Amino acid sequence: SAAARRPWRLFGAMCLLRLPRITQPLETVEEEMAALMQQIELEKSHYSDHEMRKLEEEEQLKRRKESFYDEDEARGKTVIMAQDLEEKWEQKFLQFKAAPRITDADKSNDRTSLNRKLDSNLMLLVKQKIGNQELWLLPQVEWQPGETLRSTAERAMATFLGDHIQAKVLGNAPFGIYKYKFPRAIRTENNVGAKVFFFKAFLQSSDLSQAELKADYLWVTKKELADYLKLEYLKKVNRFLLD
Amino acid sequence: PSRAQPKKKKKVDVRKEQAQKERMKKKLKKLEKAAPELIPIEDFITPLKYSESNRVRSLPTLSPEESERRVLLLKKWCLFKQKQDEAEKKAIKALVESQQEALRELRLESEELYEAAIRRDEGLFPFERDGPSYTPPLPGYDPPEGKCIDITKVYTQ
Repeated sequence: SAAARRPWRLFGAMCLLRLPRITQPLETVEEEMAALMQQIELEKSHYSDHEMRKLEEEEQLKRRKESFYDEDEARGKTVIMAQDLEEKWEQKFLQFKAAPRITDADKSNDRTSLNRKLDSNLMLLVKQKIGNQELWLLPQVEWQPGETLRSTAERAMATFLGDHIQAKVLGNAPFGIYKYKFPRAIRTENNVGAKVFFFKAFLQSSDLSQAELKADYLWVTKKELADYLKLEYLKKVNRFLLD
Repeated sequence: PSRAQPKKKKKVDVRKEQAQKERMKKKLKKLEKAAPELIPIEDFITPLKYSESNRVRSLPTLSPEESERRVLLLKKWCLFKQKQDEAEKKAIKALVESQQEALRELRLESEELYEAAIRRDEGLFPFERDGPSYTPPLPGYDPPEGKCIDITKVYTQ
């Protein structure tokens, strides 16, 4: 079958995903439910050691105020109360400042940065010349005889991002296909059109400073794909993308 | 010159030692025959100090509005989860269909590429990944000193 004339040209494309780094915000139902679950857990629980200590110390304080007991005060030892401990822990917590969930790249809508939209998947799009048009596509290169389609896709990734990219390709099988016929002007007997096979990979390293980016590129979420991809292409790509 | 008397002692000793060894072996066999003790799961055994009565929390009883609100919230949650599950299943179905279509088209193209595509990828599993956290990692953060020593008891059968 290698000798048979195939009218379709084969391309391998790679959909490189940067997985989310932070959790997605909760819906209202989820938040209410979480609060309810905590409340129920509190109601069904017994007092812990720390709470017992707090209760006992409150009792002691009350007794001391009501019956002017000098014995305890005469001891001279400073006893750390559970309440003081709690305040100390609260202070320490307030001093800690976590990294912001909405980054600078989010605010400036810098779509070439990987630090944007940390709670969703980001996909790599590159500008490629197809025929005489410059289009935004998932990185693709033509298949060459002697390699599997997966290696074609990996080669596509390496062409645009350099060799030092660390990505985990999800299996040998393609995830989707986009078939199109060439415009009548360049269509021949042997060259009816092209089939683009999509592969999926997860980006492992978060540091792409070593990558030599050779063309215009963007990292976009699934919703933003519609801004860049053509309709038919987008339909096929959306089928294998889980949001 | 040594006479018969010391020699007798040695023989008796040897026999006594042999009898001792057999007794030990019998004891070992008895212990081995007994069923192995089950490893206790420490999480399921509540320590006795928590069942004291003064530990019981004293809370006001739920008002009817509150219990009504809770029941309605649970029903909303049920519906929400059902919709979420259906959406997930639909997405997975679309994914599988897309892959099947791609493999069909590939087969039409060339058998060898198809065979290469349906081969199992040995390097894929086991696949490990850290899940997302609430805030992104703070660059250059130095956690306060102190370390945790693991004191979980490990039981062997």
